[in-house]
Amino acid sequence: MMINKTFIIIVFTLFMQFFLNNAYTVEPDEALQNQKQELRARNISKNIRCMVCQNQSIDDSNAPLAKDLRILIRNKIQDGNNDEEIYKFLTDRYGDFILLKPPLKLSTLVLWFSPFIFLLIGIFIVLFHSKKSRKA
Amino acid sequence: MKKQLLKIPFIIFFLILLAFFYLLTIERNPYEIRSNLLNKSVPKFKAETLLKDKNFISSQEFGNEIILVNFFATWCKPCRDEHKFIKKFSKKDKIRVIGINYKDDAKKTDLWLKKLGNPYSDIPIDKNGRIAIDWGVYGIPETFVVNSKGIIKYRHIGPITKEIYEKINFIVKSLE
Repeated sequence: MMINKTFIIIVFTLFMQFFLNNAYTVEPDEALQNQKQELRARNISKNIRCMVCQNQSIDDSNAPLAKDLRILIRNKIQDGNNDEEIYKFLTDRYGDFILLKPPLKLSTLVLWFSPFIFLLIGIFIVLFHSKKSRKA
Repeated sequence: MKKQLLKIPFIIFFLILLAFFYLLTIERNPYEIRSNLLNKSVPKFKAETLLKDKNFISSQEFGNEIILVNFFATWCKPCRDEHKFIKKFSKKDKIRVIGINYKDDAKKTDLWLKKLGNPYSDIPIDKNGRIAIDWGVYGIPETFVVNSKGIIKYRHIGPITKEIYEKINFIVKSLE
């Protein structure tokens, strides 16, 4: 009987996980009535770093600044700004750091391409070694 | 030839290690994020002011003298810690100190300044934090040094310490 109870609790907890994963910080009063606009706002928010917590997007963060920025993004969408204009507004003030995905620029070339270079080096070493061991 | 090629990964590994230790030894704060507004004009804004019956219009205030812009709030403990340095700045002839009161209560600020002393020539009120966003502020206190042409030359995040006080003095001297 005891095992059954524990089992139910575990299953219930795991089941609840699915709901928790879907929880988000956007408060009901923030959300826009227009579904399309709200979706756009959420997509942008997911790409914007919370400058206070730094490893969260403003969509996930409940820091006051994150809330301010979420509202600001929604206001800008309602004012008719396109996504590019909103991203520009934010990067003009907070720099590229506010974007969770760094843009491809001359200064970020190493960041974007060094993994591929290392991969090539790795492949080269593996091939080189396998050739050598086959010969032996 | 082939044996020499085998050395390449070791050389690369050694170089990465060298870079790693170099970055460890140099004085570098990874939490310090360079302001995107450096060497740009101050953001335009208009706000009510505390203690004075006037509107603060940025385009009329900046561009004549060196101005220290300090974002502060009474609820912010580090703001209290740095207050003595802000007061020191206000005693200097060549610097005008402006305090932007961030998401605060006017009455509390009034009391706070009466108690600790008011170093600010003007106190624009940033009721909802919108002015701070235009300045790229994300954690108060933050302090900006603006030159006599209205260009932002320096930004410091966090409270002003003795070292930062000296650093700002040095920057101000170089701007004179």
